[in-house]
Amino acid sequence: MSRLHQNYRFLLYPLYPWLQHPKLLQVDSERSTLLSPRNLQESNPNSFTDPIDMLQCIFLLSDSGEVMLEKQLTGHRVDRSICAWFWEQSISQPDSFKGLPVIASPTHYLFHIVREGITFLACTQVEMPPLMGIEFLCRVADVLSDYLGGLNEDVIKDNFVIVYELLDEMIDNGFPLTTEPNILRDMISPPNIVSKMLSVVTGNTSNVSDTLPGATSSCVPWRTTQLKHSNNDVYVNLIEEIDTIINSDGVLVKCEIFGLVEVNSHLSGIPDLTLSFANPSIMNDVQFHPCVRFRPWESEQILSFVPPDGLFKLMSYRVKKLRNCPIYVKPQLSSDSGTCRVNVMVGIRNDPGKAIDSVVVQFQLPPCVTSANLTANHGTVNILADKTCSWSIGRIPKDKAPQMSGTLVLEEGLEQLQVRPTFQVGFKIMGVALSGLKIGKLDLKNLPTPAHKGFRAQTEAGFYEVRS
Amino acid sequence: MAPPAQSQRSPSPSQPSGKGEVSDLKMQLRQLAGSRAPGTDDSKRDLFKKVISYMTVGIDVSSVFSEMVMCSATSDIVLKKMCYLYVGNYAKYNPDLALLTINFLQRDCKDEDPMIRGLALRSLCSLRVPNLVEYLVGPLGAGLKDGNSYVRMVASVGVLKLYHISPSTCLDADFPALLKHLMLNDPDAQVVANCLSALQEIWGLEASSSEEAVREREALISKPIIYFLLNRIKEFSEWAQCTILELVSKYAPPDSNEIFDIMNLLEDRLQHANGAVVLATIKLFLQLTLSMTDVHQQVYERIKAPLLTLVSSGSPEQSYAVLSHLHLLVMRAPMLFASDYKHLYCQYNEPFYVKKLKLEMLTAVANESNTYEIVTELCEYAANVDIPIARESIRAVGKIALQQYDVNAIVDRLLQFLEMEKDYVTAETLVLVKDLLRKYPQWSHDCIAVIGNISSNNVQEPKAKAALIWMLGEYAQDMQDAPYALEGLIDDWEDEISPEVRLHLLTAVMKCFFRRPPETQKALGAALAAGLADMHQDVHDRALFYYRLLQHNVSVANSVVNPIKQAVSVFADTQSSEIKDRIFDEFNSLSVLYQKPSYMFTDKEHQGPEDLGNLSIGAEPADDILPAQRVEANDKDLLLSTTEKEESRAHVNNDSAYNAPAFDNSLSQLSVPQTQGDLVSLGPTYTQQPSSTIDDIFGLGLPVTASAPSPAPPLLKLKTKPVLDPTAFQQKWRQLPVSVSQEGSITPQGVAAMTTPQALLRHMQAHDIHCIASGGKSPNFKFFFFAQKADDPSNFLVECIINSSTCTAQLKIKADDQTATQAFVTLFQSALSNFGMA
Repeated sequence: MSRLHQNYRFLLYPLYPWLQHPKLLQVDSERSTLLSPRNLQESNPNSFTDPIDMLQCIFLLSDSGEVMLEKQLTGHRVDRSICAWFWEQSISQPDSFKGLPVIASPTHYLFHIVREGITFLACTQVEMPPLMGIEFLCRVADVLSDYLGGLNEDVIKDNFVIVYELLDEMIDNGFPLTTEPNILRDMISPPNIVSKMLSVVTGNTSNVSDTLPGATSSCVPWRTTQLKHSNNDVYVNLIEEIDTIINSDGVLVKCEIFGLVEVNSHLSGIPDLTLSFANPSIMNDVQFHPCVRFRPWESEQILSFVPPDGLFKLMSYRVKKLRNCPIYVKPQLSSDSGTCRVNVMVGIRNDPGKAIDSVVVQFQLPPCVTSANLTANHGTVNILADKTCSWSIGRIPKDKAPQMSGTLVLEEGLEQLQVRPTFQVGFKIMGVALSGLKIGKLDLKNLPTPAHKGFRAQTEAGFYEVRS
Repeated sequence: MAPPAQSQRSPSPSQPSGKGEVSDLKMQLRQLAGSRAPGTDDSKRDLFKKVISYMTVGIDVSSVFSEMVMCSATSDIVLKKMCYLYVGNYAKYNPDLALLTINFLQRDCKDEDPMIRGLALRSLCSLRVPNLVEYLVGPLGAGLKDGNSYVRMVASVGVLKLYHISPSTCLDADFPALLKHLMLNDPDAQVVANCLSALQEIWGLEASSSEEAVREREALISKPIIYFLLNRIKEFSEWAQCTILELVSKYAPPDSNEIFDIMNLLEDRLQHANGAVVLATIKLFLQLTLSMTDVHQQVYERIKAPLLTLVSSGSPEQSYAVLSHLHLLVMRAPMLFASDYKHLYCQYNEPFYVKKLKLEMLTAVANESNTYEIVTELCEYAANVDIPIARESIRAVGKIALQQYDVNAIVDRLLQFLEMEKDYVTAETLVLVKDLLRKYPQWSHDCIAVIGNISSNNVQEPKAKAALIWMLGEYAQDMQDAPYALEGLIDDWEDEISPEVRLHLLTAVMKCFFRRPPETQKALGAALAAGLADMHQDVHDRALFYYRLLQHNVSVANSVVNPIKQAVSVFADTQSSEIKDRIFDEFNSLSVLYQKPSYMFTDKEHQGPEDLGNLSIGAEPADDILPAQRVEANDKDLLLSTTEKEESRAHVNNDSAYNAPAFDNSLSQLSVPQTQGDLVSLGPTYTQQPSSTIDDIFGLGLPVTASAPSPAPPLLKLKTKPVLDPTAFQQKWRQLPVSVSQEGSITPQGVAAMTTPQALLRHMQAHDIHCIASGGKSPNFKFFFFAQKADDPSNFLVECIINSSTCTAQLKIKADDQTATQAFVTLFQSALSNFGMA
């Protein structure tokens, strides 16, 4: 364990010349060196006025293109006819460029994301960091979905006042302020059944709490100071997604895991948590929630943090170059005089030690296939309206290898099937993090009463592709 | 607001279309306004909600403004919020009514609840009614000093809003100084951040007119302030961190120690969960190390992992934005990413635009050690159901092949593609083989073996067909049936839609003729006859040109058609490295996503004179009132669009060459551009030869008109008092293609005479060429001229950019009547060169 005492910072990147022991910047007293702004005119004649006043308007569109909500952000009013233009554009675009998240209209640059059929559209006229626009819209979508318990046309129309209130606090004059759900919840309480009932009974409802968030001025902006829970508990979930490509020769081309450490915390006061892993070195790259202190991570690879209340993503990580994937899918296609014989076998390649559930194998029937007749010895085969063939296997049985077989009838005049479908595999394994990452221990400090701790792990298929 | 609702649905009960509902609401609101009965707030809330929902769907509810204000006396915060929202929406267009709201907003600004104080202040500043600004100063001043940080946060943004409505009011109240004080002293990070952004914008905009503002703006990027902000960076919200990082990127540390200190401090920002923060940090790292090559390279190493994590962690939209930036870096330094190629493999479900970016990157990172795997992967995509991706993949294989020397491996792949027997795969493969042969003629044997079996009947796409025909011509001696294949294609001349293919066919038959004359003779005759009768100008001209070339001298013809070729060493890159550098400078901006530097899409000037309005309109512009940025814009135009200009020039050369009167034997120097001159000057010789022999050989009966001289171009006369209004000019300028774009020169005397633009305008006017707009300052001037033909109302439009220090003039000429363009150019040039001579 001696390596834990080494500085992770140097261990990881010993070569980088800028890495020193963490320290603050010192302004030296010589006045002569104080002013050295880069000459902007010289280096970048096109530099814009500084990036504020960026997003000018946000629209929420329904799945039919109807404007459900419009929030003007600056003095420059954006006419909502831009939505009609956008909708027209998104319909008329050829498939290949459909959904390009950043496009330019004749008057504005438009960012958009689509969540559950709702389009979040933001307009700007200035050059700005694109990720800021997109990232912000994603946060808006997350917060709304969190507040309204899901996203759809009705729920937004029913709660548009809350949506306006939220947007008001999340962005002012085109510049994002806070998107931290905990702070927002302090300012605007979510519409819940309890408050609705209360409003019926007492006739006194304000969905705004009377107090201002204490956190805005505290040094842990993601947490309110006076939190009280009758049952103190904290759960840590490891959620992993496995991305795999197996090429047509059956070679495992790529296998990578993207993981997430989710924490659901209901703790009173200002608790201080430390979470350590048994094998942190397997992680290739990590990203942290703002609450994580970097120094303990760098020196000892432990996560030290004051958690926000409720569910949040503590950390995400990537583990690359895995050697094994849990299940195999072996498709065989052979065509002869206008029909194509299909045979797909599925089985466990590397037993993860827990049951593999919800196994689904899907593939798109090529356009030249006129009809398909496929059956399986286990599970059910469905051919959906969009010509997706979906084979739901469920849990892989111990005694036999699931197999799907049958024939595809090709278009008139076509002898061979020339395109090769890609099989996409879905599954879920509860209780295992396939990367092998293991949680060491979780310490809770600064708690008035002892709390319950819980740990869980699961792995799902992300992009799990098998080419034929 | 109130454009009609865009809804495509039939109006549902909650979406009234008529005015009845609105006036109904008005009544109900009025009844409630004075009521103090219990439960009033609830009914109000329902009504308010209705009003807002009408507003949201786009129905004009501004008529209930006064009722809404009357109902606003309430302690219910939700009601207040709805009311603020309503007022903010309509005040700008109802300034008179907005006055009504001032009172209650001002009162709320003194409420004991800080939330209400803040909200009221925000609404007050969002009214944006210019003649109400005086009411803002008091509450804003109080807000900046408020004990609660929420109010101060709102107030600091409010100052900026005030500045946008009325800069003088904001500056007179000395708010910037207050903001600066807050920025340096406030304990709340969000207040600091808001003050910073407000100051940045205010000083940035004031800088053009005030020395003090320039100093203040520079002070923001001074070391003490930068260090002050950097040391606290973790206290700021993620969005404010982006602002600060952006600001820091404008600061140039004097030495490498300082650079390393800053990078050391920001190292952990690369692990932030917010992609915007990570990218802003990456931008800073890249910029800081630009002058240190080694470290710059290490920065690439360092940022790889976070970029790849962002690509896989975010939503598809985020991935795309990050991937675009990764693309930029990969294209800049492909070898640094060579080992990460697997991250660039396409996933089945990814949208086309993501896959396209990945394919381009895969192509770029291919090197000796990974090519085999990359090409194997690309070949899998070629069999993909997704046709555009299949095509792109084959192109990518082609590009990789062009970098490689392993002929056998590539030929194997080509065979694999052709075996798939898919039209589009075959088509792309043909184009690929053509490019390969142009670069590696020594591979002809292997390549020809591959494509020898393709029947031209199976190839439909013009590009592929042209490629096949080119190969048939170029390698006629290696391909057994080349003459016959060409003959078959000529037989179908009438059915061939693409002029490009017909042009290639002509050339290929010519080439083939010189290699295998007896077999091709008949085909060549048929091709020339078909070409001469062709309706397409270019095809016709080429056929005629070949015909006369053969007439003139067969061996000359051979050397023209089959010159000794040099293999293409490098294919022209589509983007100049200068442009790529510009995009890199603008890392973390939209430029990266559009793959264009920002001036290309934010600067309208670049797209033509669409904003003539900014130039002074009329014949007598006063140059001293022209805004300074015009010069800047002109400079950019002069400086940056060289590639584009060359392109359009080349294009124009073609056009004018083919558009020149076809059978004109007395082609004057005037109507033929220099490049084509020496070829065409063969003319006089061949007309003296009897043409019958060659006609006999190819069995051609040329129409008589072919050699009949057409009249010389008439002298161009211009109207002395033409009329064209600026809007018509703009419209025409947009619609017409550039017919000539060239460089002219003005004499040093002319430059001397051009003390003011007016001198030139008067001079040109003497030549019946009139100015419609002009602008610029020494040494760059820009003019838009126009002239009209004396006999018919056809216009000539000219954009003329004069650089008086280099004595050059760049001309872009557009004309209604293309045929008269050359005459006009001569006229214009001579007028211009006369300037100052008198």
